[in-house]
Amino acid sequence: MNQDINIKKVRLNCYRQSKVPGEFMLQMRVPGGTVDAKYLSYVEHIAKTWGDGTFHMGTRQNFDIPGIPYENIPAVNAYLESYIKEVDAELCNVDMDTIAHEPHPWDPTEGYPTIGARNITACIGNYHCICGNCNTFELARKIEPIIFPSHYHIKINIAGCPNDCNKAHMCDFGIIGVARMTYHPERCIACGACVRACQNGATRVLSANPAIGKVEKDACCCVGCGECVRACPTSAWTRQETKFYRVILGGRTGRQTPRTGKMFLNWATEDVILGVLKNWQKFSAWVMDYKPEYLHGGHLIDRAGYKKFKEIILDGVELNPECLVAEDLYWHETEYRSNFNVKPLSMHHTAGPKE
Amino acid sequence: MGFSLSVSQADAVLRALKKDYRVYAPKRFPKQGRYSDTDIIRYAEVDSFADIVWDTKSDYPAKEVITPIQQAIFYFTEDEYRASKVKTKPILLLARPCDINAQRIQARIYAGNGGYDDLYYIRVRELVKFAVMDCNGGDDTCFCVSMGTNRTDDYALALKFSADGLLVQVADESFAPYFQDMPQAEYSHAFVEENELKVTIPDLSDKAVRMALKSHSMWQEYNSRCISCGACTVACSTCTCFTTRDVIYGVNPEVGERRRVTASCQISGFDQMAGQSEFRSTAADRMRYKVLHKFHDYKARFGEEHMCVGCGRCTHRCPELISITATVNKVSAAVEEIKASMASQ
Repeated sequence: MNQDINIKKVRLNCYRQSKVPGEFMLQMRVPGGTVDAKYLSYVEHIAKTWGDGTFHMGTRQNFDIPGIPYENIPAVNAYLESYIKEVDAELCNVDMDTIAHEPHPWDPTEGYPTIGARNITACIGNYHCICGNCNTFELARKIEPIIFPSHYHIKINIAGCPNDCNKAHMCDFGIIGVARMTYHPERCIACGACVRACQNGATRVLSANPAIGKVEKDACCCVGCGECVRACPTSAWTRQETKFYRVILGGRTGRQTPRTGKMFLNWATEDVILGVLKNWQKFSAWVMDYKPEYLHGGHLIDRAGYKKFKEIILDGVELNPECLVAEDLYWHETEYRSNFNVKPLSMHHTAGPKE
Repeated sequence: MGFSLSVSQADAVLRALKKDYRVYAPKRFPKQGRYSDTDIIRYAEVDSFADIVWDTKSDYPAKEVITPIQQAIFYFTEDEYRASKVKTKPILLLARPCDINAQRIQARIYAGNGGYDDLYYIRVRELVKFAVMDCNGGDDTCFCVSMGTNRTDDYALALKFSADGLLVQVADESFAPYFQDMPQAEYSHAFVEENELKVTIPDLSDKAVRMALKSHSMWQEYNSRCISCGACTVACSTCTCFTTRDVIYGVNPEVGERRRVTASCQISGFDQMAGQSEFRSTAADRMRYKVLHKFHDYKARFGEEHMCVGCGRCTHRCPELISITATVNKVSAAVEEIKASMASQ
């Protein structure tokens, strides 16, 4: 095999290099991990026509189609036109002619314009799940046009409830649907079902008060899961109509310093989430001196420091009254090499515009 | 006497009625359901035609208007007390035949039962007049026809709803003035004659059969399926069980109130007595007690009809998807098995 292929250019087009020289794996975006089932026929067609006939469910909920020879990429890209238009441009209202807020006309026959911001993953959320507090893929579809297309990397995972099946704790920007509850004491029969549900499945913030025959709540430590609502036989606990979200920041996997994310925002509304994410590219650009590198969001926060991140990311965002923000963040990393961070000053990364 | 009202005319009549009546109807409480982005429909005072949910069964029964989940019975201060008061303004209660018949069934327990009239029930029930709501057979959990509760004549008004307005039959002449100047139309209320769901109630008249049924293995599945939450009895149109609770105000134990609060035979501890002994200590025992109470015991005690009105709300509200009708069918199968076994001995 003697081919001259610009691997980085192909990767930017959402094709991943194979161990077999000259073969690539297409990664189709599926924002929020949910699309019309009719698109499975696209997957089948691409895999059978241009790939090796296999299909992989991507770790970031992409449709992954391996075994595509380099010379087939133009044909695959031409076929992808309707998928990208229908899913990204129409379903998610993505402006395909802009990359990172800069005009960049998209040729619909050329496939994805950038790999940049990764596919937003989501659990099925309250579309189906009895535990979910929000519609996860509808939120993903609102976020997609904010972060894509962009050369700045960010991994966003959306979980419908604090059980976090979708691992919001393990990505740059994890969003968890939480509920604030209303207690209707006149409907409470003090059966204790909510108290037991909270004790067994959440944070033990409910207790029965025999003196008043009602349930009391330690609101400070409520994780907003809504298990009390699910357990209540009389609708004495209900979710408030407004949807709230928790943001878990800076989680990651990786060879060097994997870590669990920490809470950045609690009880934020959707407007706040979208407003914060609108500042994401501004923050990334500032850290990298306006030159995108293949570097994920959590590392950018490390370089800039949390306080600088907070300053840029909250710029112009009007927080809802309930919203709480972490004053500081203390991650705990797994260092695969002792004192990994202690090194000559010349090896240190810097953040912000250069002189 | 019949009328055909547009939505705005219905609103005008409702406004006039509300001067003399508290008007209760099924009302939607958005996003207050058990699961996210689901609603609940329960009884509440309504202010407009649009408030009335007429095309879907309410999650909770009409009984909540007459016997609320919680009510104060009396208030006490040191050695003095006084009974609670209730609003004396009459109530117009919009309900379907299952809920209206349920009040006849509840009344046998609350009023005259053992020669005693329950003040707290009577004083509200006396204020209530019913407006029967049209019902197209309900949903797939309804079986009123099987229970004989699909018809009623206990109503002052009969209402047939549509998106465009309301057809009204005025049965109680005292309501005629509210419809003065409204367009007349022929309307005579029709009752549901068939449900999608049909249930055959097992014959439990033989005590030996009942004793065998009590220990039958059919109940065992509920030990793993039923979580004893009591959602079925809270949603039941006819369940009457309550407990009393004394509540003290703040730090002064000399001041407080005694409350009546809904209780449930399905919740552990319901039948706990002094010394901590219980009659029914498993979910299976409690399920059996409830089912037999609804489909045998009540009728054995009061003679005329079964307690269940077939509204299906227990099935509808069960978070574990236990169907009352499937359970009754299992009882029927068990009874046939028991009878066959007895016959062969």
